[in-house]
Amino acid sequence: MAMQARELVVATDSLSKAYPLGEEEVEVLKSVTLKVARGEFVALCGPSGSGKTTLLNIIAGIDKPTSGKLLVLGQDLAVQDENFLADFRCNHVGFVFQAYNLVSTLTVAENVAFPMEWSRKPEKKIESRVAELLETVGLQHRENHFSAQLSGGEQQRVAFARALANDPELVLADEPTGNLDEKNGQKITQVLRMLKKNGKTVIVATHDAELIRLADWAACLDDGGLTSKNE
Amino acid sequence: MSKAAFPVNDLLRRKLQTSLTVATLTLSVASTLFMLFFSRRISLGITSTGNALTYGLSAIFSQFMLFIGVLIFAVGAVITSFIVFLLMKQRTRDFGLIKAAGCPNGLVFGFFMTELLAIAFIGCVLGVVLGLVADFAVANIFHFYTYSESLSFWLAPLVFASFFVLSLIFGAKPMLDAAKLSPIKALSPVQYFGLTTGNKLKPLSRAGLTFKIASRSLFRRQSASVRIVILLSTVFVLLTVSIAGGVIASDTTTSWVENAMGRNIVAVAHKNMGAQYTQLLATFSGATENGDFNYLDPEMALPDTLLQQLNALQGIENVDARLILNGHIQEISNFTIDPETLATFPVGDSREGDSLIVGVDPQNMATSWSLKGRFLSSGEGGEAEAVIGDSISQTMFSPDVHAKIFRSDPLIQSLRLQNATFNIVGVCVDPINNGKVTYVSLEKLQNVTGVFYANIALVKLGSDADRASLLAQIKTEANQVNSDFSVFELDEVLQKNRDFISAVWSAVMLLPIFTLTSAALCLIGYTMLSVEEQHQEFAVLRVIGTKPKAVVTILAMQSLIVLFSSFAVGISLGVIVTVMILMSHPLVTSFTILAIAGWLLAALTGMFLLSLWPALRFAKKPILKMMS
Repeated sequence: MAMQARELVVATDSLSKAYPLGEEEVEVLKSVTLKVARGEFVALCGPSGSGKTTLLNIIAGIDKPTSGKLLVLGQDLAVQDENFLADFRCNHVGFVFQAYNLVSTLTVAENVAFPMEWSRKPEKKIESRVAELLETVGLQHRENHFSAQLSGGEQQRVAFARALANDPELVLADEPTGNLDEKNGQKITQVLRMLKKNGKTVIVATHDAELIRLADWAACLDDGGLTSKNE
Repeated sequence: MSKAAFPVNDLLRRKLQTSLTVATLTLSVASTLFMLFFSRRISLGITSTGNALTYGLSAIFSQFMLFIGVLIFAVGAVITSFIVFLLMKQRTRDFGLIKAAGCPNGLVFGFFMTELLAIAFIGCVLGVVLGLVADFAVANIFHFYTYSESLSFWLAPLVFASFFVLSLIFGAKPMLDAAKLSPIKALSPVQYFGLTTGNKLKPLSRAGLTFKIASRSLFRRQSASVRIVILLSTVFVLLTVSIAGGVIASDTTTSWVENAMGRNIVAVAHKNMGAQYTQLLATFSGATENGDFNYLDPEMALPDTLLQQLNALQGIENVDARLILNGHIQEISNFTIDPETLATFPVGDSREGDSLIVGVDPQNMATSWSLKGRFLSSGEGGEAEAVIGDSISQTMFSPDVHAKIFRSDPLIQSLRLQNATFNIVGVCVDPINNGKVTYVSLEKLQNVTGVFYANIALVKLGSDADRASLLAQIKTEANQVNSDFSVFELDEVLQKNRDFISAVWSAVMLLPIFTLTSAALCLIGYTMLSVEEQHQEFAVLRVIGTKPKAVVTILAMQSLIVLFSSFAVGISLGVIVTVMILMSHPLVTSFTILAIAGWLLAALTGMFLLSLWPALRFAKKPILKMMS
């Protein structure tokens, strides 16, 4: 793939992250350099504790690097304030957690609508977009249910619908099938396959072999460092 | 870790929650103890009857103190139940975790019971100490030592024991409930927060969604939400009764005293008589008068010529000549007829007592009174009438079960003074001689006593007059008649009495401040519970693009819903209680309403702002810390 010719959505250079632990520091990411072009589907793999979630968090603007460069959609997120980052995530990034993390006080439809409400989309557009996304993930019949009334697989599909609500340029998913059985995992894989087909830029942290196979390429982390890149 | 170390470490691990619980419990105990000591210290109210104030005002004050006392105890109980409920409810999950790890039920219960005992003990001890310190400080600030009786220190262990037992009862309940749950249920958020499932509302707007999250979260924490609303409603009833009642009662009673003493009035009398009269007025705020004073010393007599000369002075509105003397009066009983059975019943008895007797000219009065009934009629001749002070009414014309006097009503009874009978036509609130006073017509009193002169003149100065020059003229006129005659400014003693009333009601208003602080701490505790319950969701909201202020907005909405619903209930009940039960004929001006509204809104705003503290603290956290 001719990466130079395509716009970079994510570019990190010697990115490091360390957390204080008592008087010591634990280095979770060690000089990670990663470039993801628009429309690419990338799998981040590696054992638990290798730094996959930390890297995704930093790319999403949820966490900040200790050192190194980070450009996401041309923005240096490391130097931005919380309000900028909130707007940025709302409009440009869709994030899916391993543990679904729906807002339990909102219904399925309200959860999906929330990012759009927050970016002040017109009411009619929100309604049609919610209907469209719920149809895409096959949950239109569940729109008025609360998360407590859904299975884990259904909750994860709602989480994907919510992540896609504002049609973000970048979708980040942290082990989206990690908590699911095979059947529900396949449904999530279908959603990701559809995203790939639609040309979305997707980075997925996963152990799931099927998702790794689906990726354009996979970057493997071990002990905080990028060890290999398999296309 | 040893078994004994677990409760201590657990309490230390939750420093903020532990301190909050201890502080709230401390304030509840302190406010109750302070109220009991305070009322006793000024010899009024719940625990004793007193020597200061008139009986009428003292009755109003006692009624307030009694009601506030009951409310403070109720609020203290509700606050204690809420705070220990919160403390233990937040341990339901720990209960499940420890049980899941294989710890037997009894041991887990023992762990948390030890925590509860420690918190209850520390909170109650600190509360007793704070209550004593507050009482001591207030007594010094407002100089209430004058009226102190020996304090009943048995109240301290009583309050300590009541609140300690209350804490254990209410704290043990959620623990017992948690002990009955299986570990899996105790760990489940469904059990922990009482989740329910819901309705079919569609997304409304950005504000609508924020409101939905706030309101639905409240409903999901039903038991805690209901408790906090009950608690705050009770606090607002107390606050309204204390603030509205305090302001209204203070204004009303001050107005009664001002009217009875008169504004812009000076007394012209012999120097000894003037000093005695000033003392008689000051007995209201605790001064003692000379009981052996000879009012009928001929030296005290004001000649008619002096009165005429005073009346002729420019700038004087009127000259109210009075004859004041000490007298012995006797109650005269009467009969009343039951309109249904037509049976007759005796009313009153033949009680006797001393009273200050004041002869006045009803047509020429410089002062007025708050009256039950009416004042003396001004027509000459006719039946002899009397108006009695509220203290005489209470001591000599009220039912007295011990003396087997079951019916008594001064307005249908008479009194005897030196073999003359006077029909009682009114009961007045009067600070002079602490309400132990009887007003009769000057003419009738002179006829009865054979003393045909006045011994004091109350001179009302015109509001436009040059006060200094007018006083100088009055003094000159008085001195020309008798060099011992002088002019006595009564505004100073009026101000002392006003200050006394103000100090009494200001001290009453200190009581809700304690309770308000406890309630604010409870509200902070409730917001902390919200944060603890919703921290994961708030983090998710932040990840999907909401700004930190959205988290604060949601928590602020929850506080506002809780506060406004409690405010509405509390204020309504408080106003009803104050105006309809505690205070008859209240003086309510637009300024009074503004003052009350201002105080209540300040309290509401203060509580709201304080409740935002945990929200602001939480919203500042990085997203990853919010999630953990």
